[in-house]
Order: sequence, then C-alpha cells, then structure tokens
Amino acid sequence: MKKLLLLGLMTLGISVLSACTLGTGNDGDRSITIYSERHYESDQNLFDQFEEETGVSVNVVKASADELITRLEQEGSDTEADLLLIADAGRLGRAKDMNLLQAVESALLEERIPEIYRDIDDTWFGLTKRARVIVYHPDRVSESDLSTYEALGESMWENRVVIRSSTNIYNQSMIASMLAIHEEAYVRDFVSSLVGNFARSPEGNDRDQAKAVMAGLADVAILNTYYMGKMAYSSDPFEVEVAEALRVFFPNQETTGTHVNVSAIGLTKHAKNVDDAILLMEYLAGEEAQGVFANANYEYPVNENVEAHELLSSWGDFVAQDLSLTQLGVYANEAAILMDEEGWE
Amino acid sequence: MRLRQHLHSFSIVSIIVFVLVLVVFLQLFAGFTGEASDAWIHIKEYLLFDYIKNSFFLVLFTALFSAVFGFVGAYLVTFYEFPFRKFFGWAMILPLAVPSYIAAYIYGDMFSYTGIVSRLLRGIGIVSQIDVMSLFGASMIFALTLYPYVFMTVRSSLNKQSNEIYESARLLKVSKSKIWRKILLPLSRPALVAGVLLVVLETLNDYGVVKYFNVRVFSFAIFDAWFRLGDVGAAIRLSGVMLIFVFVIVVIERVLRRNKVYYTLQGRKRLRKALSTKAKVFGYMALGFPLMFGFIIPVIYLSYYSLLTYSKTLDMELLYVTVNTLSISVVATLITLFIALFVANLDRFTTSKFFKRMINFITLGYAIPGAVLAVLVSLFFIGMDRDLVPLYQLFGVDKTLVLTRSLAMLSFAYILRFLTLAFNNIESTYQKIGPSYTEASYTLGQGKLKTLWSVDVPMLKDGLIFAFVIVFIDVVKELPLTLILRPTNYDTMATKVYQYASDEMIHEASLPSLLLVSVGVIMIYLITHRKLKKRVK
Repeated sequence: MKKLLLLGLMTLGISVLSACTLGTGNDGDRSITIYSERHYESDQNLFDQFEEETGVSVNVVKASADELITRLEQEGSDTEADLLLIADAGRLGRAKDMNLLQAVESALLEERIPEIYRDIDDTWFGLTKRARVIVYHPDRVSESDLSTYEALGESMWENRVVIRSSTNIYNQSMIASMLAIHEEAYVRDFVSSLVGNFARSPEGNDRDQAKAVMAGLADVAILNTYYMGKMAYSSDPFEVEVAEALRVFFPNQETTGTHVNVSAIGLTKHAKNVDDAILLMEYLAGEEAQGVFANANYEYPVNENVEAHELLSSWGDFVAQDLSLTQLGVYANEAAILMDEEGWE
Repeated sequence: MRLRQHLHSFSIVSIIVFVLVLVVFLQLFAGFTGEASDAWIHIKEYLLFDYIKNSFFLVLFTALFSAVFGFVGAYLVTFYEFPFRKFFGWAMILPLAVPSYIAAYIYGDMFSYTGIVSRLLRGIGIVSQIDVMSLFGASMIFALTLYPYVFMTVRSSLNKQSNEIYESARLLKVSKSKIWRKILLPLSRPALVAGVLLVVLETLNDYGVVKYFNVRVFSFAIFDAWFRLGDVGAAIRLSGVMLIFVFVIVVIERVLRRNKVYYTLQGRKRLRKALSTKAKVFGYMALGFPLMFGFIIPVIYLSYYSLLTYSKTLDMELLYVTVNTLSISVVATLITLFIALFVANLDRFTTSKFFKRMINFITLGYAIPGAVLAVLVSLFFIGMDRDLVPLYQLFGVDKTLVLTRSLAMLSFAYILRFLTLAFNNIESTYQKIGPSYTEASYTLGQGKLKTLWSVDVPMLKDGLIFAFVIVFIDVVKELPLTLILRPTNYDTMATKVYQYASDEMIHEASLPSLLLVSVGVIMIYLITHRKLKKRVK
C-alpha cells in the first residue's frame, strides 16, 4: 500500500514537474513569438543578434508547416504567435485564406523584397527563394535535349522521368503556377503526358529522385535547388558524389521562366506584439541577415543586393517565372485536384 | 438497492472512461452529419478506391509475413533443442524495440542509390536497384518489426499445449504434415490470429512508413485530407470509413478465435527434440532472418551513423527530449494500468450485460488508428476548453485553450489508445489466478480497494510488470498521436526522429533513434531475464 502511494505521488510529482518546464519561455521586457518551420542553428544566431540590436527577444515554436497552420487556426485569438515563417507561397496563401494573417505596411519590406515575392495584399513576404529545376545525368542526357518542363511530356522521355508524389506541396505549387499562366487544358495535357513518362510511381523525397537518376532508374528528375546544395555538403560522402555527378538545368528560359517558390513570413491576425514583429521581418529581409538566412538552407536570398551561396552562383543566373506568387495560393486546390484526376500518385 | 450494489469504485471508474470514449467517438458521427465538402467528393471519386485497395493488400501481406516469421520462430524454440535456443527465445522479441518508421528510414536509405546495399551490388557488377519503397517493401518492414506479437502469443499457446498429443501422434506414425494440419495449426490458431490482429492494427495505425514510401493507405489519406486539402470534415469521414474497415477485421478475428488467448513468457517443461543438421540450417535461417533484418542490421546502421553524426546531434536538447519521453511515457503507462486494473476488476465479477458491453466498447480503443484518435481528441479538447472559459476566468486565467495541447491531452490520448493492451494483459493474468483469493478477501469483510492493493496486486505483479513494459514500449514509439497532440515545442524521441527524417536528414536521426531502440531493448531484456531467473529456481 505504502509503495503504491509512493508510486502515485511520484507520478504526480513527475507530471507537475514536466508541466512546469513547459511554457516557461523567455519573458523579457519585449519579446515576440514566431511559429517557424525552419530549424537551423544559424537562425538562432540571427535571433540572438536581433535581440542584441533591438532588445526584443524571440521565442521560436518549431513544427511542420501544416501543423503550425492547423495550430494557428485552432488557437484563434488565443494564439501567442506573432509571426508565421514557413515554406511555400501556396501554403501561405492557405493561411491567408483562412484569415490567419494580417497586412503589414512597411517601406523597408517593399524596398528589400521584389514585388512578385510578396503577397499582393501584403499578408506575407518571401525571404528566400528556391527554384524547381531539372536535374540530369550528363552521360545519358545532353543539355541540348532539355528545354522546358512541358517538353518532359514528349515521347522521347518515356520511362525516363522521376518526381515525388503529388501530395507534396512543391509539386502542387509548380502545377498551380502553370495554371496561373496557361489555360487549364494545357496544364492537364502536360500533367497527363508527364505522368505517362514516369519511370516509376512516385516515392521518397526530393533527394531520392536525384539518387534514382544517379542509379540509372531514370535520366531526369525535377527537384528543388536546395536539395542539390544539401547533398553537395552532406555528411554522407556518397551523397556528395551524387551532387557532383548530376547537373542542374533551369527550364523554360526561353518561355515562361523557371518555377520559383519562397519561404515567407507573415504577421498573424491576432499578433500581440505587432511593432516588434515587423522589426524582425525587416531585419530578416535586410542585407545583413539575408545571406546567413538563405545559406543555411542553400536558398537564394530575395534581397537582390545579397549574393547567393557560391554553389548556387556556380549554376549561373536564370530567368524566373514572372508571376506574383500570390497566384500559387489561388490555384492550389485546383492543382491538387487536377493532379489526382490525371493519376499522379 | 440494486443501483448501490452496482456502484462501486470499479464500476464508477469504468463508467467515467466509457463516457469519455463515447463522447470522443461522437465527434466522429458529428462529422458525418454536415454537407459533403468538395474535397470529400473529390476523394470519393478519385482516391477512395485506391485507399481501400492499398490498405487491404498492405494488411494482407503484412499479416502473412508476420504470421510466418512469428509462428515458425515460436514453433522452433518450443519444440526443438539446439544451441542458442534460449538466446533466440528472448532475442526474437527484440525487433519490437525498433519502431517501423525507423526501420523504413534505414532500409529506404540502405537500398537507395547511395546506400550500402546498392553500392555492394554495383561492386559485384549488378546495377539493378531493389525497390523497398513500395507497398510490398512496407509490408515487409511492418512484418519484420511487428512479428514479435505473433511470436509471443503463439509461443505461450504452444507452451500450454500438452506434449502427449504430439507424442501419441508420433507413436501412431502420423505424418509430419498431418500433425501440422490436424493438431498444431488448429490448436494454435486462436493465438496466431490474436497475434496477427495486433500486427494488423499497428500497421493501420502507422503514419511514418506509409508517408515516406508514399503508400496511399488510410492513415496517409487522413493526414492528406486534413493538411493538403485543408478539410477536417473530409478527414473525419475518411476516419469513419477506416473504422468500418478496422471493425470488419476485429469481427473476423473474434469469429476466428472464439475463445480467449493471451501471452505470457512462462514455459512448461517439455522434452525438446534435437534438430538434424539439415533442419538446423533451416532453423537458424528461419530464426536468423527476422532477427537480422528486424533488429541487428538496424542497430548496426544506427550505431554507425550515430558515430558519424553525434557531433551535430548530441546536445542538451537531446537530454530534454529523453527526459520528456521517459516521463510522459511512465506517467501515461501507469495511469493506463491503474484504469485497466479497475476495468478488469469490474469485468471479473459483474454479471450485468450492460457492464459487459460497456467494457467491450471501451476496449475497442486499440483499434482506432492514431491519426483518427488524434483528430477526435483534439476536437474534443477544443470544445471542452471553449465550454470551460468561465471556470478559467474564475481562476484568473486569461486564456481559452488551457487543456488543448497540454500534456494532459496527450496522456488522455495515450490512455484511450493503449487501455486495451493493458486490459488484455491484466485480464489474462486474472484468469490464471482465478477469483477465489479475491472472493475470500471480500468474504472476510475487506473492501474492494483494500483487496485490490493487498491481495490482487501482489499476485498480479508479474502480469502487471509485463503489461507495463508492453504499453510503455508502445507509448515511447507512438508517432501520429504525439506529433499532432504534443504541447508547443515538446519533443519526444519519436517526434525528434520524425523531424530529422522529414527534413531529409536520415543520418542525423540515428542518435535519437538509437536511444529510442535502447529504451525498448532494456525493457525487453529486463522482463525476459527476470522470468528466466525465476524459472531456474
């Protein structure tokens, strides 16, 4: 009996203890809370530096983007989040549609971030860019064979293309961008012919697509640029080998431009520390922070005064889609449904 | 005063749990009443058939493989004597310590182009790539990491079968295949089916493996509807369809087994036959294959990459993560056991049909996949918090979502999910003890609670410890519930592993994975060896 009582007490003790360690955030005089999908050490260093310069401390809540959006929605006006920082303009569009974000007026943000990488209603602002490119094996594909995304639907690519699942947001946004530019029938034709050329039904992540090309399962893959960076600097020497063997091709240079997406930040609808939150947004878009922020994930800075990582620069300049990324959110659902309908698993 | 006769601590606790389970379930039916959304129509038209088909085949293959691994292993260690038999007797349970999603990351990586297997194959001139990231590969991974459930149930059932039947059959010169067909399989069928059911339910609960391999089954679909299509209603409808699927399986199981089975680790003394040299080769292969691929290779892989990456991943945060994992798991497991103990006691002595049905309903919890339960629990708590606002204000708390995404909510979900597992183990131990001691204590005028603590618990000790370990390992491994319901920035080993893996940092996930596996291994080693020592006495 005594033992059981002790056990019960211990249980209670542990629960109280672990409950106490929760939510004891940094309650400085001025602090903001950011819901962030990123978890790089360099981010924390930037936040520390920001605190040093402004006296505003930054609490970071990390989780996956979808989790954070769902959480914001559920918390409603009770949320502690001031800022939402996630990848993909389509997702931010969804957060905007769900009325989770509010508009920000800032001359600095407008000056530092090109117009197409900001929301048309100023509810979110892109901070880093990534291009969705074609990666190919130079032994089996010559650069002159490649031209556009659409060309990968032609019969010469039968059984030679790999790309990840349609449930992946990057693919959803890529198709959304096409829907924003072209007629639906055109995009439907493209998706259906691309699916017809798949070397296997989609599986794995972006890196796995590159590896499939390396393995000879396919000759070309579509993936985000930063994965090439991550592999090139991987702790696994064999991934480095893959990154070195494969080549990056920026499609649609003569036509609509390569599909570009962003990681972006938005002020939440129910933010309690609006001014300080905007300060951080401006800081992250500034020249000082942009390089570090983008390099952590091998992405392109949105601020045009800042140079990209040397690996990215080595691929040369490219023409990006001239499209306001607000459109990615507008066409997101249509894209998801179209991909399902055309049998893209 | 019949009512008073039925109301005591056991029934009251059971009724409270019943009401909670019922209310959570009602969320599901509420989801069905609304208008069908566009997303749901879309899913029904293009995806639902695939979800059902894939779930069916995934379950079928996994059931087959795990039945073979578990049954053959249990058969060999029970009926034959060979070197290392005792070692295999407990080592075959070890794959239970390896969560399926971790095995999936490992094999996905090993068989990828840069992985060791593909490199070795290329080294000897074979340039084909084996595709593990498929439905078939996924079912293999589930079978390899979950077959111990079959192994444990079947072995304990074989242990209980008397030697004489087999000896007589042999003396009567009944052929080996006939012994299998006519005696061994029919006698072990209930245990085999019960073990396979656990494997199947765990398979349907998984989210990590199917997400990574892009195998479109129900749990995948529920997350997809919720997050990609942004439609909770569609996710709830899918959950409903999935529950029908699960209930069909549970009913099939109840029909197939009819009488009850349970697993223990105790064995009866039996004369074991020696294996011929040829049979030895087969035997070691049959035991070695699942152990090798379900445990040894994953552990070697994790150790190797932990060494390569520890400079990046070994930090204070990992310590917090470990403390979090252990503390929430211990708390949730203990509460689960306490409740299961009460429910099992009601089950023992009640003659009321209502109570019997109520207990049946409560113990369906294990059949609800984590993804579904997460949706329901989260809706339930938000609703409750909104109702409790006046109370919170009374205490000066200026927040609405107090309980939502608290540790209480997470523990609540764990308890609902794992109560069945604890209940089944405790109930089976009770059956072995029989009711006489407890009844004697009641007759001597001791109260229900006093009897429980001073008579039942000491006798149940072994069963309780076993139940604790089984539930604890499952809580530690649980991914979908933890992922969705955990408090802000509250990481456990499982979520940490998932986070690294979804960032495509499979190697960095090794150290937390290794920790997670170690927790399970230590627990399994302790319970199996506790028992072994006793048996020697």
